[in-house]
Amino acid sequence: MPHHNTFPQGRTVLAVGTKRGLFLLSSQDRVKWDVEPVTLQGRRVFHAILDQRSGPRLFAAENGDFFGSFIRYSDDFGQNWQEPEHGIQFPSDSSLKLNNIWVIEPGRLNEPGTIYAGVDPASLWISSDNGKTWEPDAALLTHPTRDRWEPGAGGLCLHTIVPDPSNSARMWLGISAVGCLRTDDSGQHWNFANKNTRAGFQPDLYPEFGQCIHRFVQHPTQPDVLYQQNHCGIYKTLNAGDDWIDIQRDLPSEFGFPIALDTHHPDTLFVIVEDPQGRHNVDNQFTVYRTRDAGESWEACTLGLPKGPGVRLGVLRHAMCTDTHDTCGVYVGTNTGQIFASRDQGDNWELIADFLPSIYSVTAAVIV
Amino acid sequence: MPSILVSLPGALRAKVGNRASVMVAGETVREIIDALERDFPGLRFNLCHETGELRPFVNIFLNRANIRYLQGLDTPVSAGASVHIFQAVAGG
Repeated sequence: MPHHNTFPQGRTVLAVGTKRGLFLLSSQDRVKWDVEPVTLQGRRVFHAILDQRSGPRLFAAENGDFFGSFIRYSDDFGQNWQEPEHGIQFPSDSSLKLNNIWVIEPGRLNEPGTIYAGVDPASLWISSDNGKTWEPDAALLTHPTRDRWEPGAGGLCLHTIVPDPSNSARMWLGISAVGCLRTDDSGQHWNFANKNTRAGFQPDLYPEFGQCIHRFVQHPTQPDVLYQQNHCGIYKTLNAGDDWIDIQRDLPSEFGFPIALDTHHPDTLFVIVEDPQGRHNVDNQFTVYRTRDAGESWEACTLGLPKGPGVRLGVLRHAMCTDTHDTCGVYVGTNTGQIFASRDQGDNWELIADFLPSIYSVTAAVIV
Repeated sequence: MPSILVSLPGALRAKVGNRASVMVAGETVREIIDALERDFPGLRFNLCHETGELRPFVNIFLNRANIRYLQGLDTPVSAGASVHIFQAVAGG
């Protein structure tokens, strides 16, 4: 099949970052899915996302095994890639060196051309020219507690960026294993926002920072409401992170990586919790858990998902997402190369791709 | 200053106009990398971290010797020598 350099309006496109390349899947009806020829073949693509604010422009976080880490961008859905003129590189006198680029996050709707990226070692990078040049947020690099930040198993990675659409000066970041930070002055200062979230792996269970936050999302119409999946629990905040409320309830594990939200019904969220040692489904049933009441209760979604003594699937922090249809689709990529999809809010699931390389990330876009 | 033939791995050839090798001038491996950066901006970052040291899975050979076992980036390079850049095996 030839590589598409454009897609029709309304088509759902998944960007799937894997250990060996970037795959695009697309569907007009979310029933039949086409897989494009792999792009960035052989490269570790931690994250990729389609920015349609002034595009479409496809961004990818490529982490090479040999020759470094780079942001790439493509205006033809991966047929041709460009490299920034001035990419993500620490100043030579900073003693920091780029390990991996973890996440790329388009800015607010009213700031087209602004793109954010999070990397290891933990730092926030900003492009104001649609990806051509990048500069770090200086306040985070010189944060007074930085010398006490400890990495998680994946490194000292900044993996989650939430620019507040209702307040151009406010943004949240997630760093493992540092926790959630918030700025209220456009990145001039960063304050911790971890109250009541556990760090169950150290003597002080509720430190100011040091939590292993895994992923968080913002409510689309109540900007002070966010939901997070942590190494140690699932939480929501009603006050922009001033404190957090435990919403783990009867979920069978506190440990998981991804969390996703239905933008049309934002009390509906999806999580996948795992055995914390094996980092796969807790028992023999691979399960996506859903709440329809903002975390008051959880239900297991299993119809169409595999079950058996040999089922041991892991899902990384960026490997579950929703689309923007109403009724929303949910997409889950596994570390063994399967993509499961639901087009009915998680009620029913189908395997839409298999035998991919280990999946790092799945993001969905509906072509406008 | 001697001109040195530098051969590049396939993954980096797009950075040098899809050539397998280029000629640059330098008296040490570090100066050769500086020259590569001048001629092909951005190439240094493929070979070295921001802090200056060679990336762990990049091997540079002066003639048949790995510079890690010579004087590293400060290894002198004489006229007529050849420099080969490889990605490390990094496998099983």
